[in-house]
Amino acid sequence: MNPIESTIPYYPVNDFGPLMKGLVIGGVGIFHVFLAQFAIGGGMLMWYLERRGQRGMPDARTFVDGYFRILVMVSFVVGALTGVAMWFTTIQVGARTIGLMIDEFHWLWATEWVWFAVEITAGYAFYRYGDRLRDAARLRLLGIYAVASWMSLFWINGILSWQLTPGRWLEGGGVWSGFFNPSFWPSLIFRTAVSTTLGGLTACIVINTMDLSLDRRAALIRRAARFAAPIAVMPLVALWFFAVMPDDSRSWLLGGSMAMTMFVGIAAGASLLIGGYVIVGLLLQRLYINGATATLLLALAFGATAAGEFVREGARKPYTVRDALYSTSIRPAEVAALRRTGATVADPYPLRATYPGAQLAHGAKVERVLCDACHTMRGANALVELTRTWTDDQLRLNIAKLQRTKGFMPPFAGNAEDVEALVQLLRWEHADRAADFAPTSSPEAVAQIAGWLEQAGTAPAGAR
Amino acid sequence: MWPFELGASGGASIESLWLALYLVTFALHAVFVSYVAAGTGYALIAAVRRKDDPIAARARDWLPFMLGAGITAGIGPLLFIQLLYQRRFYTANLLMGPRWGAVIPALIVGFYALYLAKAVARWRTLALGVGLGCFAFVAWSWTELHLVMLDDPGWRAMYASGARFTFDLALVPRLATWFGAMAALFAVFAAWQATPAERRRLAGVGLGGLVACGAISSAAFAVDPGAARAHGWTYLLMVAAAGAAAGWAWTLKRPAGPGLALATGATAAALVAGTVVREAPRIALIERSRDTAAHAGGVAMFVVTFALGVALIGWVVRSVRRSMT
Repeated sequence: MNPIESTIPYYPVNDFGPLMKGLVIGGVGIFHVFLAQFAIGGGMLMWYLERRGQRGMPDARTFVDGYFRILVMVSFVVGALTGVAMWFTTIQVGARTIGLMIDEFHWLWATEWVWFAVEITAGYAFYRYGDRLRDAARLRLLGIYAVASWMSLFWINGILSWQLTPGRWLEGGGVWSGFFNPSFWPSLIFRTAVSTTLGGLTACIVINTMDLSLDRRAALIRRAARFAAPIAVMPLVALWFFAVMPDDSRSWLLGGSMAMTMFVGIAAGASLLIGGYVIVGLLLQRLYINGATATLLLALAFGATAAGEFVREGARKPYTVRDALYSTSIRPAEVAALRRTGATVADPYPLRATYPGAQLAHGAKVERVLCDACHTMRGANALVELTRTWTDDQLRLNIAKLQRTKGFMPPFAGNAEDVEALVQLLRWEHADRAADFAPTSSPEAVAQIAGWLEQAGTAPAGAR
Repeated sequence: MWPFELGASGGASIESLWLALYLVTFALHAVFVSYVAAGTGYALIAAVRRKDDPIAARARDWLPFMLGAGITAGIGPLLFIQLLYQRRFYTANLLMGPRWGAVIPALIVGFYALYLAKAVARWRTLALGVGLGCFAFVAWSWTELHLVMLDDPGWRAMYASGARFTFDLALVPRLATWFGAMAALFAVFAAWQATPAERRRLAGVGLGGLVACGAISSAAFAVDPGAARAHGWTYLLMVAAAGAAAGWAWTLKRPAGPGLALATGATAAALVAGTVVREAPRIALIERSRDTAAHAGGVAMFVVTFALGVALIGWVVRSVRRSMT
């Protein structure tokens, strides 16, 4: 079959060695989110300090001009390009997911693009001409920059939060139901608070590099630190976020999946430490923060951002778009058909490696179509390690009843022969790809798997 | 009017709207990236020759901004291409794999190289050389992606071989045509910033670009009859290119005369027509069966925001101009 004609799109799958794909997109995503949110918070801070400077606060305008150069050099360049990189990386990891997001929200992506263009225009105009502009024009440009960058966040936030909580969009409610979904507002407030915090903490580092007396630097730091204060509301916003997320996702974050729970703890702990230092130390006790401590707090904020993004991504499992698309890039409604036809019958792409026997080659194709999105064979989240101690029947049972084995796994989207081929592939891998490998397949085993698949059904474990 | 079609309701079909937006945003993107690629090349030649060249100095000053504008403008066509040719675009991305993703670090390196070339005279030649290398790699990668998108019979073999590069001969004329077009577009933009005396040199650059572009694309058309599907747009392109050449010839004779306005208008027309001609061979491949995309809401929000965005950008430009006078 021509790859362009299949009903379910099959895309070529790339192997990233020991890196599971979640790590690849996570690495790019965390970096991008950190820079993009810094640009938003930095924009707000500059507008505020420019205003203070025009009302007589000494050194505020000097800070704005110096800070803005760093913002432009870092966030405009790397931030904007990592945004494009996010698109490219998402295609590598889950082409069908980004395709659905583009199909459903393209006019809103385009809307976001307009705001981004306004942000870049205002930013560059200030960068290039700021020192020659009148006060009113400076303030106006910074105001437009700050508003436009936040509007960019506003639009992206709706699309990203839709992935976890599509809300009434699932009932045919249309693009606005999907956009203003249940986690839209807590997510927006959360991201805005992170943005201002990053802007404030970075400012504390920059102020420490300014050639000013300690008193004058301290005065600037106290103003900038106000922007880091919103981090204090994050626990409340996090509770709101927990309240609106699906029950099964919440249960994984709150103990159901220890890795996820630990990341929640890291995000919460780091936020608490930053918030405590800013509010008690900087704002109440009016302490001075030196460059090293500010850098440490910013590093903590990076850790919190990374952990938060990991939690956001992980909480969606087994979906990339809740109730609409599994992480395997298969729609829930397509599982039943794939149970009949098999997962690989329409996959047009050959294997790159060779295998000793048709069944193992079949197993490798099943692994590529159904497992590769989240697992590697021997690297991160390795199938070999996850299943090493399982007996043959345990392998068959656990894979056939995948969504019952682990609630955050999707139902197995293939037939009994697919399960058996995957089982034999895993056995072969467990045996270190032994040349004298002997398959243990039998018609009885396949019949048993068919029965287990029937029992497991095609609905996900967390189905309402 | 071809290639834009009517929908069931009698208005433009949604695919035609996407196509129109793709073509317009692509043309806008081409203006900026042409300035970047050709401007970097021009500045590099001036740096190697160690000549004080005001055109090169001005280009170095504008290059970082133009690259930022080019990347920002490039997000538009990147969005619409995913609606028009989703499966082909994603498949080509995946087949080229991490080597395709290398365009991002190449752009980051190129961007900082342009800043370096602007700020530090000692490193100028090296920085411009590195920048030009990065931008040439990006142009080559995009051209290659375009060809891989069209080659669905070859996808299986490419995947099986694990090859990340397709050394297709069709790459050469496509890239060469692009480089000619980039020189012509750079010349127009730079000429408006230049003094009449400097315009003569830019007229030479513009004419050279047009001649190269015309000669190579004519040869390519002769080999590939698919391009003839562009119908009247090909003739419009030829007339516009001839008009642009006449404008530059006029500018050579009278640098302060109206030749530049003619060259600018004709180059703009050639850009629009050329964008359609470039797209013509794959218009038949537009994917039309995705209901989710066809019925997606939010177009009114985009239209309103677009109008607001244009107004805000205009306001920014006006504020800067008024504040500085």
